[in-house]
Amino acid sequence: MRYLASRLLQMLLVLWVVATLLFLMFRLMPADPTSAFIDPTFTMEQQEQMRAAFGLDKPLWQQYLIYFANLARGEFGQSFFQQRPVLEILLSALPNTLVLTVSALLLAYLFGVLAGAWLAWKRGSRVEAAAVPAVLTVRAAPEFWLGMILLAVFGFGLGWFPSGGANSAGARFDSELARILSLDFLAHMALPCLTLALYLQGLPLLLMRSTMLEVMQEDYVTMARMKGLPESRIVLRHAARNALLPVVTAFALGLGATVGGNVVVESVFSWPGLGRVLVTAVAASDYPLAQGAFLLITVVLVVMNFIADLLYSVLDPRVTHGARG
Amino acid sequence: MTDMPFLHRRALLLGGTVLAAASAPGVRALAQQAGGQIRRIVLLSAAQASDPQEFQAAQLVAQAWRQLGLDVEVRGLPRPQLSDIVWRSRDRWDTTMWRMVGRPERSDPDELVYNLFHSSTRDTGFNFVGYLNPQYDAVAEAQRRELDQARRRALINEAQQIVMRDNPYFFLVYPQNVVAFNSRVIRRETVVDQAGIGQRNFWTFNGAEPAGQQRDLICNAAEALNAINPLYISGAIDSWVTDLVWDRLMRVGPDGLPRPWSAESVTYVNPTTLDVKMRAGLKWHDGRPVTLDDVIFSFQAPAGGKSPMYRPFVINIANMEKIGDDTVRFTLREASASFLTATLAKINLIPKHVWEPVLARLEGTPQNAESYQEPQPIGSGPWKVTRFRLQEEVLLEKVADHFAAPKFDRWILRVVTNTEASLGMLRRGEINFLSDYRGDPALLQQLARQVPGIEVAAATDMGFRFVAPNLRRPPFDDPEFRRALMTAINRNLMVQAAWNGFAVPANSHVSAALTAWHLPEQHRANIQQARQILEAAGYRVVNNRLHYPAGRQETLQPLQ
Repeated sequence: MRYLASRLLQMLLVLWVVATLLFLMFRLMPADPTSAFIDPTFTMEQQEQMRAAFGLDKPLWQQYLIYFANLARGEFGQSFFQQRPVLEILLSALPNTLVLTVSALLLAYLFGVLAGAWLAWKRGSRVEAAAVPAVLTVRAAPEFWLGMILLAVFGFGLGWFPSGGANSAGARFDSELARILSLDFLAHMALPCLTLALYLQGLPLLLMRSTMLEVMQEDYVTMARMKGLPESRIVLRHAARNALLPVVTAFALGLGATVGGNVVVESVFSWPGLGRVLVTAVAASDYPLAQGAFLLITVVLVVMNFIADLLYSVLDPRVTHGARG
Repeated sequence: MTDMPFLHRRALLLGGTVLAAASAPGVRALAQQAGGQIRRIVLLSAAQASDPQEFQAAQLVAQAWRQLGLDVEVRGLPRPQLSDIVWRSRDRWDTTMWRMVGRPERSDPDELVYNLFHSSTRDTGFNFVGYLNPQYDAVAEAQRRELDQARRRALINEAQQIVMRDNPYFFLVYPQNVVAFNSRVIRRETVVDQAGIGQRNFWTFNGAEPAGQQRDLICNAAEALNAINPLYISGAIDSWVTDLVWDRLMRVGPDGLPRPWSAESVTYVNPTTLDVKMRAGLKWHDGRPVTLDDVIFSFQAPAGGKSPMYRPFVINIANMEKIGDDTVRFTLREASASFLTATLAKINLIPKHVWEPVLARLEGTPQNAESYQEPQPIGSGPWKVTRFRLQEEVLLEKVADHFAAPKFDRWILRVVTNTEASLGMLRRGEINFLSDYRGDPALLQQLARQVPGIEVAAATDMGFRFVAPNLRRPPFDDPEFRRALMTAINRNLMVQAAWNGFAVPANSHVSAALTAWHLPEQHRANIQQARQILEAAGYRVVNNRLHYPAGRQETLQPLQ
């Protein structure tokens, strides 16, 4: 319980620091935040009215207090350009991002875990010698390049998948759920999901392989071999199960990190998610929206980190004991 | 072998010293005739990543000016920072790359002729270069009052002549808008080229006819929409939608001139009074009739301060009253030649029963009508909103009983942020009208050669690109200095090198696209002539650096 409270406190501290940094960052930028959208034909009175509407006429410390009071109430402010609540804009984009991210992560981790275990089993073979550099190459390739290659081959070339967006033009669905579960949506998600999965698979694969190699030196694995158990059973039941621990926590961290890291994939595939909102907001100098998007990404990252910590302490009680010690 | 370079270098140094000694008296004499050395000139531009064409053009301009002996630094800045300096620190900067974008209401030259250079907009408005010329003021004021087309054209010509003489701007190019469409889906003959706007316009979207079985006109936008709101000028792409959903009393036609639309006729009673007779049988998308009260409300709503972006277009209206069952009489504060284009063809007709309660709720709050997004937008235009996701897609359906009912069944706007993907989508038929293309036009032409049915169309924009000198700061306050700088700029090179041929050289603030108003001029870059102009005005080059005329010293610092 004390461990939980301590981690919770740390989480809140991190969020406060990030929120403060974001607040200062956007206000200390060289241009007046309203200069991008206040038309020069406006009278000075109108300009002042607009600055007042966004609270920019107040001293910095007052703005800071208002900002935190609003955050505490779950208000992220109003977008300069869309003139809508930031939270509403972010929440409308979040489902697309989450569906894409979770699907890609599951695909990457499923493949990574199985391939990692298999490569550990094939330690020293030609397959391993070829596979590890290949995995590293794909992992090191820039996302936009990978995405454009897939788009050029499977979209423009072979025509197997659509070139962008989340649905076909004018497609109609009875509900949001029906839209997300439709074949049309899945077809549109295939290439961005594959791009993201290819980018993400390196970590679980290499992590699984290295922990498997460690675990396979353990006494209980030797004991299993001495008992004459089949090799596949030793790998899957005994070794892989124990090697999964760091991979599970990496999954939670990966989920947090990729929600914010989808900017490139979403832009390449015109995927209407959080990353695109962020790019649009930064390009248009829509500071409240950009600030809100960064903050939401931070919240997801920090919360997933927290969950990873909890998971770890559940899966490996030594972590909690360590904290007590 | 190793000694040779030293020998060469020594010989060169010796030669240089001899030459310098020989020319020293000449340099001294020249220096005595000259004033202070002109400071380093900072040429501001959008950052290369955000506007590569503009940045490239800035480099070419700087290159030309350096040949005159100026020390020029091109400084790329993010747009907000650039805007902040140019609009709000009007005494600090020397020169900046700038642009005026084309909008349908700018089909009438009044907005640019008046706002850009009239002294009343010098301190806080559009006249950010600080041009001050009573003669120009008089002409700009006269043209806006003159209702006779021929006399007004003469005044607009005079305004352009003054600007060409005084060079408050260094005009570069009128860019071309490039679009592409699939002629197997859209009949080529029904794609309309609107003067100064190009093929992506209301008349094409509304009047295009299907060439085959496909009944969806599918366009693209390279960025997300901000809002679909008839009281908010929220962005260029958003306006494509508002144009289709909300009708206006008049519309700017393909020829660039206003023509009655929801109005059956518009008649001037006298220079400050006009009667607008409405068409019969107009309906809102919710089925209710469009009334004269709705029309009056549409022009009253922006005047109230809750629609700041539309307010400037209605402030000239002194009064509106109903005359009979179908006519509204507008009384203006002063005669305005651009009223039809800038107001009657600009203000969206909005239903009073929808917007009156909204504006009442906003009264007394800091929010305005721009922050209200109708869940189901209601207009009286030829297209009605079926569904919209601003980050993703807007879907409109035709209003079959509209007096100008569209030929396609649905108009779909897809947000495609990847330029290459938009080309792929056009090739595959996922879109059939590439309405927003920001890539290399040569690639588009290549695609058109490869794929049967794809056609590329380019049209000169009514907007323009230019270098803005700050006339508040010497030496830019000197018309001869500005004339020399203008003469040094090779606009044809600019078209080819920065805009890949998809632009035409610019010479005036009234675009070549507005054929009824534009004043052509033969322009030829000539560095030698530019040097002669400077020489005649007293400027001297000493040690390869340009100096003020004798008796003038540098008093300013470059922008930090």
